[in-house]
Amino acid sequence: MQMRFRVNGVDYSLEVEPNERLCDVLRNRLGLMSVKTGCGVGDCGLCTVLLDGKPAPSCLVLAYRASDKEITTVEALGTEKNLHPLQKAFIDVGAVQCGYCIPAALLVLKHIHDTNPAARREDVRRALRGILCRCGSYLRFEEAFELVRGK
Amino acid sequence: MSEEIVERFRQIIEAREFLVVGKKVARVDALDAVLGRPIYTGDFVTGKTLFVKAVRSKLPHAYIRGIDTSKSKAVKILTHRDIPGVNDAGSLIPDRPLLAVNKVRHIGEAVALVVAESMQEAEDAAEDVEIWYDPLPVVKSPREAMSPNAPRIQEDRDNVVTHFKIRKGDVEKGFRESDVVIERTYKTQFITGLPLEIEIAYSYPDRDGGITCISSMQNLYDVYNKVLKILGLPAEKLRVVQAATGGGFGPKSDETPIDVAAYACLATHHTGKPALAAFTRSEAITVQCKRHPFEITNTVGASKDGRVLAWKSTLLEDTGAYISKGHLVIGRATFHCTGPYEVPNVWADGYCVLTNNTMAGSTRGFGAPQAHFAAESIMNELADELGMSPLEIREINMLKPGRYTATSQRIEDDGLLRCYRKAVEASSFERKLVEYGEYNRLSKTVKKGIGIALLYHGNTLGPEGDDFATVLTYVDRDGTVHVQTGLTEYGTGALTSLVIVTAETLGIPTSRVRLERPDTAAIPNSGPTVASRTTVIGGRAALDAALKIRALVASVASKALGVGPEELEFRDGRILHPSRGHVTWEEAVQQCFEQGVELKAIGHYMAPPTKWDPETGQGSPYNQYTYGALVAEVSVDVETGFIRVERLTAAYDVGRAINPLGLETVFQGGSIMGLGYALTEEIIHENGYVVNPDLHSFIIPTSTDSPLEIKSIIVEVPGPVGVFGAKAMGEIPVVLPAAAIAGAVANATGTYIRELPLKPERVLKTLKIK
Repeated sequence: MQMRFRVNGVDYSLEVEPNERLCDVLRNRLGLMSVKTGCGVGDCGLCTVLLDGKPAPSCLVLAYRASDKEITTVEALGTEKNLHPLQKAFIDVGAVQCGYCIPAALLVLKHIHDTNPAARREDVRRALRGILCRCGSYLRFEEAFELVRGK
Repeated sequence: MSEEIVERFRQIIEAREFLVVGKKVARVDALDAVLGRPIYTGDFVTGKTLFVKAVRSKLPHAYIRGIDTSKSKAVKILTHRDIPGVNDAGSLIPDRPLLAVNKVRHIGEAVALVVAESMQEAEDAAEDVEIWYDPLPVVKSPREAMSPNAPRIQEDRDNVVTHFKIRKGDVEKGFRESDVVIERTYKTQFITGLPLEIEIAYSYPDRDGGITCISSMQNLYDVYNKVLKILGLPAEKLRVVQAATGGGFGPKSDETPIDVAAYACLATHHTGKPALAAFTRSEAITVQCKRHPFEITNTVGASKDGRVLAWKSTLLEDTGAYISKGHLVIGRATFHCTGPYEVPNVWADGYCVLTNNTMAGSTRGFGAPQAHFAAESIMNELADELGMSPLEIREINMLKPGRYTATSQRIEDDGLLRCYRKAVEASSFERKLVEYGEYNRLSKTVKKGIGIALLYHGNTLGPEGDDFATVLTYVDRDGTVHVQTGLTEYGTGALTSLVIVTAETLGIPTSRVRLERPDTAAIPNSGPTVASRTTVIGGRAALDAALKIRALVASVASKALGVGPEELEFRDGRILHPSRGHVTWEEAVQQCFEQGVELKAIGHYMAPPTKWDPETGQGSPYNQYTYGALVAEVSVDVETGFIRVERLTAAYDVGRAINPLGLETVFQGGSIMGLGYALTEEIIHENGYVVNPDLHSFIIPTSTDSPLEIKSIIVEVPGPVGVFGAKAMGEIPVVLPAAAIAGAVANATGTYIRELPLKPERVLKTLKIK
């Protein structure tokens, strides 16, 4: 199937299989390795991307369903020289342990920050529910959001 | 380079105020993570590769009668006959074939491998391999396995693998002299450490006819040595590189990293092509090594005034169908069975037992969470019997300087007492105890409670292996310092500690130090990355290497400044003398290069061997102990059985805080992992079958399950072995949550729940019986 979508600000036109998952297209075809998979059934949230600005587990999205949509992954968040404030906050508060859930957690927080910069702690906790972090960095993620709240 | 100068520099550094140690330092690898850079094994797979899948046993115990591969459309199908070397993948004990030969002993055991062009084709091809079995009776528990007519799990071995003993004093006399004796049995469950990055290995042929394997793991040389034997290759034909690893927690130190690496390498060996082996989540949960379930019966006797006089423990440990690290886990659990208390008379029997359940092995804490849950719970019950508070019973009996452990090891430091005091004070324990009591008189549905648990944790390997580490440090012409070791990073931040130690020694900022990837082609064996030993033991090796570099640089800089090398100070990127001025680090390095002084050093450290008597368990099994105290505050809904952990207050004696930022992260993270163990996590075996190998029925904590506050208090009582006095910390925060939370639940409800996890149905059932 032919599909067009915009990923990290770049327009793509691709031929995809009807059963091809979005996470596989992003990783294997576009080389966006920040998109992890941890279960393939929507339990862990590691494959979360922003689909038209909203967090979605890309293992549960068939690629063609992302037609005409805009997708954001962590690759577009910031660069080494110009980190997104959340990326900097993650480093400063020591949020990174094994690192595997970090891209997903960043995207969830970016969504909150973009839509509700003054979000309350409870909202942040609830939003992060969809991402499993086995290292247990949840409180660090909340603290990172504190650093960017309202900014 | 004289050893004298190295030694002199060591003394100088230890005597002066630290430059970097003790400051909050960001993880050196944090930038890669927040940018989502391709650093994990799966990120390196490019171009055409083959995919390898295991055909796994669908029965927990059976003879293999035949394998029909005719319907499978694989590129290649491999059975044990296709293993060119030795068919053995046991990480320490050679009891586990990589591919089953004529019998399967647990569900999900690998029988054959299929190699295909895509992962989907590999999975289909694996489904199409038919295996005929003759089922055998399934041994479901250690109790069954220990009965006289139980079938043997492994033909050449008794089902009881290890009987571990502690014999101290006269336990019967101790009970006779006791005013109160209570006996309780506690049970714990299977869980998995569940690293979120699933087991994965990628291999490809080298130009010189060898194989390179990139993989996710903790123990570089365990994987290398084992795969080398499986392939039957000479040492130089295999190279293993650890990619960034998305979580370790123990499972990545045991059997499954060997398996995936061997699967990929076998495929490359047989096809000459790149190959990827990766588990699915359910495969990983089924076969990765789990935390051992224990059944622990403690009998404790005490005098009226609260002195514990005698302690008897029987520990049954289910290690599954193969031993993995079960024989060592039972040792650590038994050594710690009395908790951090002085008991004059101890009798303990720990049994590591084979069953037809899936394998258990290393999991963060290594037997300590189970032992402490049982010990701390019975201390609370004893306090109740004696009409004492949980604080009083602990104050009377805890290990303090001059007191002796269950193995008669004399305690020299007061780390435990300090942790205890800090945690009690910071949590306002005594005030809360009263407040919650009042609250509970008025509240019918929600009951609040507070509990405390204490720990001591033997550092590092002790009886569990050779406690050595090796670190290679070298310097580029531009002054960049490279640190490389076979010890690995998988989340705890321990390798950042090695960078800090190096920067501290050379007086340069941490940004001038680069960590290189663990790679068997570049560095010798550095021992396993387990037992929370990277900072403690690896730090000593990093210090040794950095001191050698410092001595080399000083020998050159001293000539330029016209002073003795030992008179030079290294700080702020400069090498200084109080009256003769300074050279910068970069200038000094430049001079070394010009004078042909190679700035490269191997640092090595071997911890003193520990001694204990295997017949009595008596002696000093560990060189030093980490101490800790954890206070948990909970609310229990007595109508639904739902427990919420409101707050945790943790105080740990880390010896020396090399990086307080990293410590706080690990304190909190480990506490949350331990909370999952306490409340929800459980891998259920039914007749040998794993019934919940997925993340919607194996429930780990999410953000909303974590307490609103985890107060982290660092206590520093330097230990004799670790670098700058550091003590082991990576595993420790996971040890106490179950014990502290169970104590708080008992305080809230007046009921002791003696089996983990404290899931709602169990809570309700126990409350009803009461």
